Amino acid sequence: MNPSPLIEISELRIRFHGDDGRITHAVDGVDLSVANGATLGLVGESGCGKSVTSLAIMGLLPKQSAEISGAIRFDGFDLLKTSDQTLRDLRGNRLAMIFQEPMTSLNPSFTIGDQIVETILRHRGGSRRSARERTIDLLRRVHIPSPERRIDEYPHKLSGGMRQRVMIAMALACDPRLLIADEPTTALDVTLQAQILELMRELKAASGAAIILITHDLGVVAEVCDEVAVMYAGEIVERAAVDELFSAPQHPYTVGLLGSIPRLDHRAEQLATIEGMVPNMAQPPAGCRFAARCPFVLDACTKAPPPLVEVSPGHLSRCIRAPLERLVS
Amino acid sequence: MALLEVDGLVKHFVAERSLFGRALAHVKAVDGVSFSLDAGKTLALVGESGCGKSTVSRLVLRLIEPDAGTIRFEGRDLLAFDAGALRAFRREAQIIFQDPYASLNPRMTVGQILTEPLALHNLVPPARRRERVEEILRLVGLEPRLARRYPHEFSGGQRQRIAIARALAVEPKLIICDEPVSALDVSIRSQILNLLRELQHRLGLAYIFVSHDLAVVKHIADHVAVMNLGQIVETAAADALFAAPRHPYSRALLSAIPVPKPRAKRSRIVLQGEIPSALNPPPGCRFHTRCPYVVDRCRSEMPQLVRDGIGHATACHRTSELPSSEAIVPTDGGFSPVLEKLVAAFSGGPEAVRGSGVSSLGTNPA
Repeated sequence: MNPSPLIEISELRIRFHGDDGRITHAVDGVDLSVANGATLGLVGESGCGKSVTSLAIMGLLPKQSAEISGAIRFDGFDLLKTSDQTLRDLRGNRLAMIFQEPMTSLNPSFTIGDQIVETILRHRGGSRRSARERTIDLLRRVHIPSPERRIDEYPHKLSGGMRQRVMIAMALACDPRLLIADEPTTALDVTLQAQILELMRELKAASGAAIILITHDLGVVAEVCDEVAVMYAGEIVERAAVDELFSAPQHPYTVGLLGSIPRLDHRAEQLATIEGMVPNMAQPPAGCRFAARCPFVLDACTKAPPPLVEVSPGHLSRCIRAPLERLVS
Repeated sequence: MALLEVDGLVKHFVAERSLFGRALAHVKAVDGVSFSLDAGKTLALVGESGCGKSTVSRLVLRLIEPDAGTIRFEGRDLLAFDAGALRAFRREAQIIFQDPYASLNPRMTVGQILTEPLALHNLVPPARRRERVEEILRLVGLEPRLARRYPHEFSGGQRQRIAIARALAVEPKLIICDEPVSALDVSIRSQILNLLRELQHRLGLAYIFVSHDLAVVKHIADHVAVMNLGQIVETAAADALFAAPRHPYSRALLSAIPVPKPRAKRSRIVLQGEIPSALNPPPGCRFHTRCPYVVDRCRSEMPQLVRDGIGHATACHRTSELPSSEAIVPTDGGFSPVLEKLVAAFSGGPEAVRGSGVSSLGTNPA
């Protein structure tokens, strides 16, 4: 697509070795790229591998139990091959991450100012005084009222929405090129969610950073993403521009997800449901991983794993029945 | 007669005590809440965290005692019940909690969990209990053989089904659903919502549905009460509220609902400022610190909930002066025709190849 993507993940595979000797295939051959200034939504349900993928990018997976192969190229580095030292230089600097839980991702024994100042001093150096000024400026940018006073407060004094804004300020401290946001609004009320989404849009426009937004909320995706990758059982099953995905999805799983959202315009007696369960990733099925839950399944689906093919320009689907329009016309 | 009538409910929690145990500060969790609920209907309580919606649901069951107000269940004064009567009332009203991982005893099998209410209220003779447990499991779409398993062997959606089964075991008239689907994935969420709906039709249950997910509320509720800092600011039929919310707070809430449609038509109202603390709610209208339409009167005088001819009640001094709110709730404009057909086919239309994807109570639940 884009000649020089900011980050390019190819053939990423992550396996976890359990204590009992079981091997779980958490991520299985994921290819992704994000261009400068673009927002990619990574969608899927619990256990589909979306968060593990983001942790692999950040180099935060435990070395003893996680076996990672493939390549993650970012800014001239292969993140899977760089030294821990280089990774530490990148993290919080050019690579930043916002987690779902603003309650547990701030250190309760330091003031929010100390925590942001530390990040700035670690990566940018300079005097503590100038770092403090920059921190106040950052807090103002994420719309924290009276930042001069708030900077000396401890996390427990702040509300959930405020803490999430502090997390964002910290992630932005060194002007990252790539920001990974893992369910940044899930723990928040709609009114705060609206504030945070607005803020993310503002920041994207101002800084031109690329964003990978991990979420299970398709409403949030529709609102802020340019492109979407849908993950199921460790694989990307569909990838498309946001308009495409919402108007003409090409994988049955995406159709099921869209159908299961209660909608505002249209009162349905029954919502669509996806029957059955996610396959056991210790022994992934031989054919399509969604086959057991798919109403459009054919014999061929269970024989061989379907490849990810381009259904229309820029729209990829891992379904042998695509284009799905044929099924209903 | 309404199944449940709540009038002027108040609950203040003590937040701080002096050295000698005198109360110094109160959290005004619920401050004068009134509503009624008919049999077989669903009332949704919505609002931000800390607005008092969960406290109301616990007061209604007398799991905590109110400081003032009355609660009538089928015309009887719930607050006058003695221990015996209260115990009998527990048969009539049940609760389902948000977290299906924390609300089931890990040391009991599903069979034991479901037998306990039957034994406690002596509903079914011991010899027939196993049979009844199997019946209830089938009712919530689980296979009877699962009765021998422990909660940890189930997924989140299945556990929530077990929690629903436990509530249903005593054949209640009212079930309080406190964020029953917030902890679940989208596809599982729709299964549980379908199940709750189907059970309501089949058994004539009334629900109080506590949720912060407004699209879910629109889907399931007949009536909605919007709460802010311990008070109801607007209550109306769900269709009327979602068509045209009146209170500025309801407008902001509904305008912020994310819809699954890129470039959806919307005029989002982003509230500025923080939610004031319930420890020290602002004088006058409790929303005035964040209200875009605030005038002087709002800062000093608390607005009353005023009901119009069709039962749409709003607590705002400026209700009649506010701009039209018809375009406030974002519209997703519907799915494309192709997608609409695909979704229908996905949930078992003519194109469905196999039968198992048809019903939420099918043989293959998650």
